[in-house]
Amino acid sequence: MKTLKTSLVAVALVLAACSSKPVEKPEMAGSLETIDMGNHPPMVKLADPETNQGHVGRKPRRITVAQLRESILTTTGRQWSQINNLAASLGQADYALTVSESTEANLVFAKFLEDGAREVCLATANADLNNATAANRVLFPNVTVMNRDFTTMTDAQVQDNLQYLAVRFWGQRFGDDEVGAWTQTFRAIATRAKAVNQPAQAWGAMCVAFMTDPRFITY
Amino acid sequence: MKKDLSHSRRTFMKAASGFAGTAMFGGISFKAFAQQAQALAPADHCFVFAYFGGGWDVLLNLDPRDPNEFTAERISETRILPGYSLLSQDPTYPTMPIRPEGSNIAFGPAVGRFANHFDKMAIVRGINMNTVAHEVGFRYFLTGKEPNGSAARGSTTATEIVGQLYPKMTAKPPVPNLAFGIETYNDRYDGYANALRVSSSNDLLLTLAPSPTALDSEIEKQLIDMRGKPVTCEAQLYDSRGLVGQYQDARKQVRTVLDASLDRYFRFDSTMGDPPAVAMEKSATVERYRLRVGSNGYPNDPRNSSAARAALVATALKKGVSQCVSINIAGGLDTHFGTQLTQANNQRAGWNALGDLISDLRESTHPGGGTFLDHTTIVVFSEFSRTPLINASGGRDHHITNSCAIVGRGVKHNFVFGMSGNVGMSAGVVDHATGLANPRGFQYLPDHVIATVMASAGLDYSIMRVDPLKGLMAGT
Repeated sequence: MKTLKTSLVAVALVLAACSSKPVEKPEMAGSLETIDMGNHPPMVKLADPETNQGHVGRKPRRITVAQLRESILTTTGRQWSQINNLAASLGQADYALTVSESTEANLVFAKFLEDGAREVCLATANADLNNATAANRVLFPNVTVMNRDFTTMTDAQVQDNLQYLAVRFWGQRFGDDEVGAWTQTFRAIATRAKAVNQPAQAWGAMCVAFMTDPRFITY
Repeated sequence: MKKDLSHSRRTFMKAASGFAGTAMFGGISFKAFAQQAQALAPADHCFVFAYFGGGWDVLLNLDPRDPNEFTAERISETRILPGYSLLSQDPTYPTMPIRPEGSNIAFGPAVGRFANHFDKMAIVRGINMNTVAHEVGFRYFLTGKEPNGSAARGSTTATEIVGQLYPKMTAKPPVPNLAFGIETYNDRYDGYANALRVSSSNDLLLTLAPSPTALDSEIEKQLIDMRGKPVTCEAQLYDSRGLVGQYQDARKQVRTVLDASLDRYFRFDSTMGDPPAVAMEKSATVERYRLRVGSNGYPNDPRNSSAARAALVATALKKGVSQCVSINIAGGLDTHFGTQLTQANNQRAGWNALGDLISDLRESTHPGGGTFLDHTTIVVFSEFSRTPLINASGGRDHHITNSCAIVGRGVKHNFVFGMSGNVGMSAGVVDHATGLANPRGFQYLPDHVIATVMASAGLDYSIMRVDPLKGLMAGT
């Protein structure tokens, strides 16, 4: 019995000594390649337009009021002061009198969204103009502002910032042809903003354009 | 995460060719994309639902009794006391039922100018409300379906109407369903049928007025120009089912509404900055509805009175802003402890406003021909009536037998359908085909009234699960 106990202690000591050795790294580097899972069900591909009445993918949907509230806050860092007052008109159900959320992109929604975008965007642009730390700005974090004048920005700088805003507001970049048209519009707006000494309206107006674009309100 | 617009070239070309084909041959896939914003035009058939809040005394309005026949001495026999003599403190109230010359309808003393339009209306008397609870009766009449407990069942009638008519309209009103100070429900239609609920005229003005945060006019023009530029092929592809097109149409409608400065038509208390033609039109409105502006001496608040609400209804219909307007036209009628005079005064404010609204619609030409009243159906109702006997406090309590008025298109004119009993004003039992009393007939409920309104407009009334009152419909 005593011999058995002695043997067990010895084995335990040997094992402890083994476990303190450094673990060897595998020789093969990590891979992002997909792995064949054998019986995994196939991924659902987008339907062929020919078999889908000319459509690609599912129908786009308008965001709900709750999603709009979060989207505004996420993209600009501030909230539209009237969104709760106007929530019912924007389509939010109260589940007492109206039991279904309206996600119609109708006149009332378009009108109030425009009102909200202007309030939030101009406030954000004004705050950005007074923010000395470029990186903390929301609408033009990578732009060097000289005398509150945006007309001196090069096309490349404008396009860079537009692409940044497109990703910020829509989660996707512009196509090459579209960014040219937006750059042109920004140039005209920046010139006018300088002329009327309303520098906040330069990127503020572009923010309104991003926030009222269909890509902001659909998914 | 936004929808990924990147697709293979092959996929894109297939869809683009599909778009071209459907656009050329009238397919529906891109129909919404091709729609253009329509100019504002009044709806061919408009509807107004006017609610008197609190439960009205029908002896004072739509179901009067002759006080010489229903005397205090006969109370134990008739269980009815008209009480018109209790209004004698105000000499403007008649002490007998009113029957204008040529009228087949007798009215109570509180109906005011509404009675002038007897030749354009039908009255339904003896409706069994099945309830004497405010919320239940109110929601019952709003929906035409008896509530579950006190919870409304189904959509409001206005929502049903817009839900059925709006998709077929070519010139779509910007706010098809407007509910002013009144509940509205939608349980089966898409959002287009939801009512814009406003509690004051200010809420409506907010929709129609320019944004409170102004941009420089040139900058605004740049934004409008940019939005008007042709969309990319990818964007067209993304919008193959029309949501983006619908939104862009809505934005064009916003511009149409703002460019037309429609808000100024609803600002009855100011003509500042109005063009002469608009100012003249508003002056006529102020005169017609007796709205107090400046020192003109008229009694009605231009923003929150029965008259102002009636003026708002007329403007919304005539300017093509709305097709259905539901409105709380008068309140303060739950007079358990009030006097007959309080009930009559509160009612008369609403009836006079309605009378002015009907005059306005009668005298306004509809672009589709005839007058606006020829294109409008007005349903006037309350949740129930008040007891035919006066209680110990000098007021009247809740009573189950009700009446309503239907004015304008769709119903017989100068006509009374049904009757309440001459003992205790019990609910009527009539032949639905004639409206005449018939012991073998049936009672009729708000369901029947609403089914009649729907049927007379050519709409599907099957959700009411009853047949319309054929004897009430025009042309029968």
